[in-house]
Amino acid sequence: MIEVRDLVKVFDTRGQVVRAVDNVSTAVAKGEVLVVIGPSGSGKSTFLRCLNGLEEFDSGSVSIDGLQLADPKTDVNAYRREVGMVFQHFNLFPHMTVLENLCLAQKVVRKRGKKEREAKALALLEKVGIAQKANEYPSRLSGGQQQRVAIARALAMEPKVMLFDEPTSALDPEMVGEVLDVMKTLAVEGMTMVCVTHEMGFAREVADRVLFFDHGKLLEDASPAEFFDAPKDPRAQAFLRQVL
Amino acid sequence: MKQKKAQWPWHVLTVLVLIGLAGALYYATSLMSYEWRWNRVPQYFAYHAEESQRAADISTVSELVRKGDKAEVTLRNDAGDEQHLTVDDNSLQVAQGDDVAEGDVIGVTRHWAAGPLMWGLWTTLWLSVVSGVLGLLIGLATGLCRLSNNPTLRDLSTIYVELVRGTPLLVQIFIFYFFIGTVMNLSREFAGIAALSLFTGAYVAEIIRSGVQSIARGQNEAARSLGLSAGQSMRHVVLPQAFKRVLPPLAGQFISLVKDTSLVSVIAITELLKSGREVITTSFSPFEILFCVAGLYLLINLPLSKIASRLERRLAQSD
Repeated sequence: MIEVRDLVKVFDTRGQVVRAVDNVSTAVAKGEVLVVIGPSGSGKSTFLRCLNGLEEFDSGSVSIDGLQLADPKTDVNAYRREVGMVFQHFNLFPHMTVLENLCLAQKVVRKRGKKEREAKALALLEKVGIAQKANEYPSRLSGGQQQRVAIARALAMEPKVMLFDEPTSALDPEMVGEVLDVMKTLAVEGMTMVCVTHEMGFAREVADRVLFFDHGKLLEDASPAEFFDAPKDPRAQAFLRQVL
Repeated sequence: MKQKKAQWPWHVLTVLVLIGLAGALYYATSLMSYEWRWNRVPQYFAYHAEESQRAADISTVSELVRKGDKAEVTLRNDAGDEQHLTVDDNSLQVAQGDDVAEGDVIGVTRHWAAGPLMWGLWTTLWLSVVSGVLGLLIGLATGLCRLSNNPTLRDLSTIYVELVRGTPLLVQIFIFYFFIGTVMNLSREFAGIAALSLFTGAYVAEIIRSGVQSIARGQNEAARSLGLSAGQSMRHVVLPQAFKRVLPPLAGQFISLVKDTSLVSVIAITELLKSGREVITTSFSPFEILFCVAGLYLLINLPLSKIASRLERRLAQSD
């Protein structure tokens, strides 16, 4: 479903060149859950942001169902409709209620009628367990609730793929569980997911494959059992010794 | 433990300071033997205008009916044509059966008319509103151009902002009236509004630009990741939040604009200040009139800041 080939992203800040994503190729099949892990600064978030074009890459290709992201003929906005994204800091729209957050893109991008988009929004809020907060502003919600709204907002567009960029890293520890539960439900339902996360338990339990990044390079691509029990790359071994 | 101290003694002190200042002002004017004549002022706000009603032909007062404080006069000439006039009863100059000649005053009608200060206030108001709306539109467009990826748009908007902010408004008004106005044959009002709105636009552009830049990048990223185009994201996500943030400086800019309209008096637009100066030449009461003019500017600006703070509070409900 997702094809990544020879992806390269270089950051050049005042002559200091960093290869944030260095020649990465991989593929994600429909319904597959990928977990991307690695030390901070390893390029895993940049890799994820390249998948929906929030970060423009320097060379290589990314495609979803054959639709090439870097192709000038591709409508990037149409491409992004198919790719939901959840951010570390939720990025809910603070001037809109929860319901309006879920309805905006449905209205502006999908051109859905008021009844249809609100029914969809309420159903999704029900699913993530915060239907009673529909008319609250995001500032009145806890971090965990905000992140669940953010997930519902992305789902409202009915994307083919969901990208998660460290969705639990900014949460208080007691709220991590509620967000991971929602993500697990999605995985069970067959959503194609790519998650950058530090939650090793989630990776082991839910992931179909684990990708390990360091210094922009994809060093390991294995099943969770293989990766956690018998990592091949020495840097992956060192990383796991530190976090487990 | 924090003790709650009474606030009212300080408010009393404030009032005392104000009274002291007013007293000092009064003392200062008494030193230069200025005679305050506030009773001369009201007529320049509104006055009782008189309009003479005259006979149109040589004729006779054939009928005279008094109705309350009005008198209805019917004149009939030799040919039998009738002329009907209604005048104020106490100004009636004729009686039943009188002969009148063409142009004779039968009486007057009185009505309230706005004085020069009211006309000046009105001119200042509409100049401010028109220049304010245009300035906001120009500023919004320019502010977005400043943030554009297109180098030409960015350069042109930067040049405009720097040119306008770097030169005095008074000079711009003169240039618009005497140079551009002459070349393009513009009316003085058009030239004045153009100068004021371009001036305001430059400042509004910088306010909008800083407001947009103060919105976290993640907001735009979240909108774009949902499939919104750059324009849709700006319109639905970034600008509404930026607007809330720039409301205080924007209100300040419009208050400035109201005061800056006084500068177009130099190209002979009779707005509030120029009306005031004209009134001074006939009333010989410069201090009273100037205080009134200042008061009228306050009368526009105080509600303006009130509206702005109310709007600010309403937008703050999502915080």
